[in-house]
Amino acid sequence: MAKIYSAALPVTYVLLRILVVVNWLYGAAIVTLLALPHAQWILKSFEMSPGPEADRVIWGMRAVAVLGLIAVPLNYAILKRLIAMVKTVRVGDPFVSDNAYRLQAIAWFLLLLQLLSIVIGTIGKAISSPAHPLHLDAGFSVTGWVAVLLTFILARVFAEGTLMREDLEGTV
Amino acid sequence: MAIAVKLDALLHERRMKLTELAERVDITLANLSILKTGKARAIRFSTLEAICRALDCQPGDLLAFDPGGQDQSQAK
Repeated sequence: MAKIYSAALPVTYVLLRILVVVNWLYGAAIVTLLALPHAQWILKSFEMSPGPEADRVIWGMRAVAVLGLIAVPLNYAILKRLIAMVKTVRVGDPFVSDNAYRLQAIAWFLLLLQLLSIVIGTIGKAISSPAHPLHLDAGFSVTGWVAVLLTFILARVFAEGTLMREDLEGTV
Repeated sequence: MAIAVKLDALLHERRMKLTELAERVDITLANLSILKTGKARAIRFSTLEAICRALDCQPGDLLAFDPGGQDQSQAK
């Protein structure tokens, strides 16, 4: 069968490489924020005065930042595997067992990211108040969990497909 | 694998070379070599038919079950 040229593959490869850099910059930004004296910035952005409620918000925001930092290696693990998978597609041999393992690992990392998102969303709700509302783009996401399930299923499909291809290659 | 391919012995009996069989059954020499060396995972009925026709034999003359061989279903 003739190979169909698609620009999507090189574009995806470059995009993934850019995302790796963006992910590290995102991590570096969080580390910098945590390292610098940030309590005053948080109070200023929430228009709060020092007090017990302000302390709660500051510690909540610190927890969110630390959890955000945990997401950096998880994101990297996913991106690294996606780049490796795109490379196998580029050389014309994507149906290998390594890709099935990679997909399964990605599914687990996505699951961890979803759990992380729920924890961050819960903290956000806990420190939010009518006087000082906080809207974090985190929490339970139906699409996120569907993506997790889909990736697990896809990993299994890939594993079966790889076995079938091996059988086909050995058929005379 | 517990299934043994006796193509080598059959070719010897018929005084036929593997290249000649490849030409007769229209199967690449590489694929026939895979079959001969027992590295094949499966054989198509069409291939089996073509070989049996060319060598004037039965499938049982070509294949044999060796109970002492490795169980392929456990190998995966």
